[in-house]
Amino acid sequence: MYGWIWRHLPGNAWVRALISIVLVLAVVYALFQYVFPWAEPLLPFNDVTVDGQ
Amino acid sequence: MRLVVRTFSELCITVGGLIVLFVVYVLYWTGVQAASASAGQIDTLQREWSSTPVRTAAPVPEVVPYAPGQGIAVMYVPRLGEDWKWPVLQGTEVGTLKKGLGHYAGTARLGATGNFAVAGHRRTYGDPFKDFPRLRRGDAIVLTDGTTWFTYRVDRAPYRTVPTDVGVIDPVPAKSGFDGPGRYLTLTTCEPEWGSSHRLVVWAHLDATRPVADGRPQALDS
Repeated sequence: MYGWIWRHLPGNAWVRALISIVLVLAVVYALFQYVFPWAEPLLPFNDVTVDGQ
Repeated sequence: MRLVVRTFSELCITVGGLIVLFVVYVLYWTGVQAASASAGQIDTLQREWSSTPVRTAAPVPEVVPYAPGQGIAVMYVPRLGEDWKWPVLQGTEVGTLKKGLGHYAGTARLGATGNFAVAGHRRTYGDPFKDFPRLRRGDAIVLTDGTTWFTYRVDRAPYRTVPTDVGVIDPVPAKSGFDGPGRYLTLTTCEPEWGSSHRLVVWAHLDATRPVADGRPQALDS
């Protein structure tokens, strides 16, 4: 999987390393900004009210 | 065969990394976000309060209902920490509780006859009620709405109940030991610390009020 991505990146090893870092950062940003805020309320830490449900 | 094994190991590493990142998010990042959101809410409230002159002799202002998500008051609980200070926002929606404590819609206004009920996170989002079980009879819960300081006193150690026990936020809370109408306050959070099977509840009654112009109440400085 990662080997496949590496082979399909353009440029020499340095350019590829740079692009990889950018890709990793983009994925982490997307996770923290969109995926985790969606997933976190599914855990029980949010249930702090009495509501009869 | 090699490709399959390699892909499988990469997948495992990826899932492991995801879990680590998620734990970092839940334990650390939600706290960072809550700290900045609650500080922002308190700033907004204080700017609002300083821009509207304190009316003392003016006719009683019309009571405006709290708008959902709106900041209502700032709460101080010396038992939970000298610097413990959180905004109370209207409503107990998931998004509201990320920014501060939530005032149950439909319960009394701050300082009014009835029950001013507030919910807050025990863990994650800044852990506002992490030390909730340490609350004891006589502890001060101080709130301000910009014109008045309200000092409530806790009546008994936290009471453990189930999530469906809505009677605990009634105007005269069931099982609280209060036997007639009064100016009460209820705090709720989850129990156990990282779970949701039960709730912890603390009741308090209004002990003293003091105009903001007269300075901070003694309970905050003792």
